[in-house]
Amino acid sequence: MADEPRYKRLTRARSRSRFAVVSAGNSSLWLGPDHLLCIDSTGFTEHYKRFSFRDIQALIVRKTDGYKYWSLALGMVGVFLAIIGAFTGDRVGSLVLFSIAAFFSLCMLLNLALGPTTVCYLQTAVQIELLPSIHRLRKARKVINILRPLIASAQGELAPEEIAARFSGTTAQTAQEPAVADAPPVISPVAPTARDSGEGTNVPPRIVS
Amino acid sequence: MSSFQLLCPKCRIPLRESVINRTELAPCTVCAAPLQVEIFPALFRPIQTGRSGEAVLVETESSCFYHPQKKAVMHCEGCGRFLCALCDCELHGQHYCPQCLESGKKKGKIKSIENERTLYDSIALGLAVAPLLLFYVTFLTAPMALYVAIRYWKAPRSIVHRTRIRLVLALIFASLQIAGWVVAVIMITGSHG
Repeated sequence: MADEPRYKRLTRARSRSRFAVVSAGNSSLWLGPDHLLCIDSTGFTEHYKRFSFRDIQALIVRKTDGYKYWSLALGMVGVFLAIIGAFTGDRVGSLVLFSIAAFFSLCMLLNLALGPTTVCYLQTAVQIELLPSIHRLRKARKVINILRPLIASAQGELAPEEIAARFSGTTAQTAQEPAVADAPPVISPVAPTARDSGEGTNVPPRIVS
Repeated sequence: MSSFQLLCPKCRIPLRESVINRTELAPCTVCAAPLQVEIFPALFRPIQTGRSGEAVLVETESSCFYHPQKKAVMHCEGCGRFLCALCDCELHGQHYCPQCLESGKKKGKIKSIENERTLYDSIALGLAVAPLLLFYVTFLTAPMALYVAIRYWKAPRSIVHRTRIRLVLALIFASLQIAGWVVAVIMITGSHG
């Protein structure tokens, strides 16, 4: 379609479930011209969630210990199979077991090489959305580095002093507030006070705030 | 009192400034979960309040199609109806009435709010390829795959760029399966005749 925005892939599809083998649904992230697109796909249908750069409040990444447990489990299976292979008298059998053990060890090394696992959340004014396709810390940082300038160009940047002031509860002016103050005044046809005072509806419009 | 809310995803306790916009992971002050939190100005932006329509004061003034007692401030770019401030739904600089917005979403006319698509190309390819393991089922699924591929040839595919390769492959596989069945039937009937 000619009027559809072009999207650039940010992350590969990854299952929303931890047990990816039994789950058909997966999620991926795409970069649009003015928004982030999260696609939840079942293979035959796609559901879209758009997060406008103007509305993204925060990206929260939490490092998890999943990669340690997976590495431990894969390593233990590899070692277990290697031990059985070493004590098996049959040469072909031990070769098969060593091959499987090598496969598990390779998986463990790959898992360690990919780095720590994370869960990533995107916060807007109305939702906190889990982004399952951002599963590794390295990927999370890469995505944040891509998104940061785009969001900054849509919203402006936060000065460290302003963050400190906001978190300490002081009434520092935000970058958005002056824009609101500069907005044109609303013209009200009849001010409530005019009606109350019995001047009727023929009172000319008055500018309020 | 701050109006924004930024919670730790693990302990659900409001986060402190010490973990905000750091380049490295920083522990949550309560649960010590390692976090990297990137915040943006929208976090501190006050939530905009909805507008209410102004009452029509003079009879000659245009009124809202849905609320005749309210003054029209805009016209819908979908149907042209006059709208009051309450009914005016702005979307990427364009103004729609709630009805057009709803129908635009359902029919997929407004691309920016379309939130679901059926991937007919994947369905056609699935019908053409998956039953190959059980060959006899292709007697039914091959014509179905052919039908889906032809019927939905022009249907919108995925919102992200996708070619028609799945539909083409589905057509090829389904045609070959049907051709195979035709040859098999001819051979069987020929050997009996």
